[in-house]
Amino acid sequence: MKGWKKDLIALAVVAFLIALLCVGTKFQSVDDYYLTHIDDITPESETVFLSIECKTVLNNYDDLDEALKEEKYVPKDGVILPRTEYVLRNGDTVFDILDRAVRYNKIQMEYRGASENAYGSAYIRGINFLYEFSCGPLSGWTYRVNGEFPNYGCSKYRLSDGDVVEWLYTCDLGRDLDMDMYESVR
Amino acid sequence: MAVIEIENLSFTYTGKTEKALDNINLKIGNGEFVVLCGESGCGKTTLLRLLKRSLAPVGEKSGRVLYNGVEISELDERKSVTDIGFVAQNPENGIVTDKVYHELAFGLENLGVDSDEIRRRVAEVCGFFGIGEWYRRDAFSLSGGQKQLLSLASVMVMRPEVLILDEPTAQLDPIAASDFIATLKKINEELGTTVILSEHRLEEVLPLADKAVIMNRAEILTCCTPREAGAKLRELAPEHKMNYSLPSAVKIFSALGGDGECPLTVREGKNFLENNYGNVYGGYDVEKEDYSAREKAIEISGGFFRYERETPDVLSGLDITVYEKEILCILGGNGAGKTTLLKIMSGVKRLYRGKMRVWEKKIKEYGGNSLYLNNIAAVPQDPRTLFVKNSLRADLLQTACLMGSDKAQAEKKVGEIAEKLSVSHLLDMHPFDLSGGEIQKAAFAKLLLTSPRIILLDEPTKGIDGYSKKVFAEMLYELKAQGVTVVIVTHDAEFAAEYSDRCAMFFDGQIVSADNPVNFFSTNSYYTTAASRISRGLYRNAVTADMVVELARKNGTRKGSGANG
Amino acid sequence: MKAFDNFHPVAPFLYFAAVIFVTMFTTHPILLGVSFACAVFTCGMITGAKKTLKSLLYALPVMIVIALTNPLFSHNGVTILFYLNGNPVTKEAVLYGVDISVMITSVFYWFKSYHAVMSGDKFVCLFGSVAPKLALLLSMTLGFLPKLKRKYREIDDAQKALGIYSRKGYLDKIRSKIRVLGILVTCGLESSVETADSMRARGYGLKGRTSYSVFRFTFADAAFVFFTVALTAVICFLAYKGAADFRFYPTVKEINFGLESAALYLSALLLSAAGIFCEIKENTVWRLLKSKI
Repeated sequence: MKGWKKDLIALAVVAFLIALLCVGTKFQSVDDYYLTHIDDITPESETVFLSIECKTVLNNYDDLDEALKEEKYVPKDGVILPRTEYVLRNGDTVFDILDRAVRYNKIQMEYRGASENAYGSAYIRGINFLYEFSCGPLSGWTYRVNGEFPNYGCSKYRLSDGDVVEWLYTCDLGRDLDMDMYESVR
Repeated sequence: MAVIEIENLSFTYTGKTEKALDNINLKIGNGEFVVLCGESGCGKTTLLRLLKRSLAPVGEKSGRVLYNGVEISELDERKSVTDIGFVAQNPENGIVTDKVYHELAFGLENLGVDSDEIRRRVAEVCGFFGIGEWYRRDAFSLSGGQKQLLSLASVMVMRPEVLILDEPTAQLDPIAASDFIATLKKINEELGTTVILSEHRLEEVLPLADKAVIMNRAEILTCCTPREAGAKLRELAPEHKMNYSLPSAVKIFSALGGDGECPLTVREGKNFLENNYGNVYGGYDVEKEDYSAREKAIEISGGFFRYERETPDVLSGLDITVYEKEILCILGGNGAGKTTLLKIMSGVKRLYRGKMRVWEKKIKEYGGNSLYLNNIAAVPQDPRTLFVKNSLRADLLQTACLMGSDKAQAEKKVGEIAEKLSVSHLLDMHPFDLSGGEIQKAAFAKLLLTSPRIILLDEPTKGIDGYSKKVFAEMLYELKAQGVTVVIVTHDAEFAAEYSDRCAMFFDGQIVSADNPVNFFSTNSYYTTAASRISRGLYRNAVTADMVVELARKNGTRKGSGANG
Repeated sequence: MKAFDNFHPVAPFLYFAAVIFVTMFTTHPILLGVSFACAVFTCGMITGAKKTLKSLLYALPVMIVIALTNPLFSHNGVTILFYLNGNPVTKEAVLYGVDISVMITSVFYWFKSYHAVMSGDKFVCLFGSVAPKLALLLSMTLGFLPKLKRKYREIDDAQKALGIYSRKGYLDKIRSKIRVLGILVTCGLESSVETADSMRARGYGLKGRTSYSVFRFTFADAAFVFFTVALTAVICFLAYKGAADFRFYPTVKEINFGLESAALYLSALLLSAAGIFCEIKENTVWRLLKSKI
């Protein structure tokens, strides 16, 4: 009897340690985390535009998770971050810009790192507590660059000067955003 | 009225040419207790199985087997299940389910009896057999004797008219065997059930039987009362192997050529001797052999052992010395830990306290296989566990090769040893198809290939008949002559008395006495041989039937007695 | 004396199935708290208080580990404590972890009690009426396994004491295990032939087999089963109406004490504590009876 209990504890501890190692260990306080410098825009710097919107939720408000039916999470106009101009650093991807912007604006964001999924790219699970599946089983975050939906991950898409990035919440796998799934796959 | 009538029954197994049964004619009356005896392989099992419809072997059958005048194979299916009960040899395998109550109910469940009726009948049977206390126990936690009793009870619950048992006590120790046989007698007398059983252990069964059927190679040699059995055997087949299995009283009576009613029990044997023979020569004087000059093969001093930390000691302060070139028999009650002692000796289990030396060297100093190679070899209770290959030959060849012979050498060696142990004709058989006596020999062949100096045997005479025991003992003698030491753990007092150099009594985790067999058994009054009990008070130190016969001849008959020895 | 032992196996089986079901399908902290306390108490009454307390000592660290693991993988929640590698560790995620760990431990303790109460034969009896063939097979297996285990040890010892096979290193050990298993299989087949004989000799295969059980379904069993089923139905109904809903993300919901919720808590308490109640009643009755002896 005693043997297996000890084993159980050992197993749990090992699992915890492995989990810690996998995640790595870099602790930051809340203030540290949001202490992100946004480069000042100068005439010679390259820039992109970024916006975060969840307007589709407003049309499907009944499907929304009870806990999120507050203006705090879903603003009345559906705009979480209005279109803003940010400096493009060399090699920046869609993900980098988003990460920098939400930190600067203290917007909550959770993603699954590139190593944790099959696509080899970061996957955005939730922004401003609005998560995948928060508004129906076909809901989640997607993005558009210059009006087109790229068919690969946001940490793989390199941006160039003047690109317009829109992060959009969909309630119907992008169909409510006029995204043609078949075309984008092709 | 005959319950079972066998008319001109012959049987040949499919694929064999030799008849397993040849023209058998037998009538068994209602309520009779019939003992079927004969050496192994004479067709006892075949005959018994032909009496039970669902167990009838496959082959060519001629003649008729009638139950109450109806041919067995035409009997109603349910009737043949309930009316004829069958108990097989091995209690381990006869038990189907996990709980005692479930096992008891199994047959009735099959018959579609409802739960309340089953409850009543099971309760009744538990009362009759006195097994109510185990009712809710796990069947596998029972001892061998208890299991066999359970097998019997779970057949009796169907209220059979005829009970057939195929060597039911072969796997049991003597005490459990006597209990079992006493229960059979009780069933026969109190319920009037007809009992037909085959048995090697005639010492206890023969006095109880109404009829003895002696078989000889597929035929019935004679069918007579137990009292006539000895005389009939002597008359019809003096060389018959069954002679070795008869009860001691019958052996003595036969050897002395006694007249009149043949004694069967110890009491009758004792009366016969006292009434007919004098005791001028009071018996044997046995001198203790001096072992001090001999080398010590195994020495254990102050040995303690237990299986788990919380369980009680199995060995507690055990002292024993095994000398070279002797045959030592260790006797003791059931579950006393004799097998454990053998496991300690073979190094499979280690003492937690105390010293153990093999050839005067500490057991710890034997590294790797050196304790076993050309040194110690053990035959477990079930010798089949030694065999790895599909045929005896392949197995023995592999053993020889592992011992360092090349292929040609190995074949020669195996041939020689097989010849010596007369197992040559068995070489191409699967080890699991061999009979009790044969597998014992085969195991010996395997051991001898490893040329051991010490052989440890666990219950080697379990389930083998008197003649095979004799053959087995001769093998041991030959080994001893070659300088091999033999340690035997056994229940078989008769065997130990006849063939060992020294006997030791194991009790309460210790060896309580060790002596030569004559002193050992003549001072014991309960744990002793039948011959010793018969001659007690008349002759000193006579422990085997042969010794009693010799003394009686020397003394001559009393005047006026009817014997003409 | 265990009260559960007096019941027909169906009663405890349904009871444990119900409490485990309720525990596993809710995240409501009150329900889980009630379930946890009752699980530990029941386990203590059935398997012994000392043993259970001791096992709690082991269960506690496991609970803490589970509670701490959740925030590593779940970053939802508004109250951020600190950031770990760029991901927030939130109070909500920690609380949710605690909640889950309480659930897992309660289920563990319920299962412990279940195992102590439902021995193999009770399980067999349960199936006896529904699937008699399966029940027999189960019973045979339960009887066969210990036999096989014993035989394995016997063969292993015999092969060891034979000493002709070398026993150095892992490869030899694996080889010897394979050898032992080979013999074991032959032995098993051999013995099953004899077992089959024994079955046939006792009429196995005849039409109309019944299934016997030593347990009787009494009025007390019926009452207990009714009680269990009724309470579970009430709980399910209230949960369906939303009384058992609870959420941790993004903010922890306040615990509701409305009429429906209170009814839910009460029925969960009644259900979870039924076992304890039976044990206490049995003990008291037993003491009373003993005083009369």
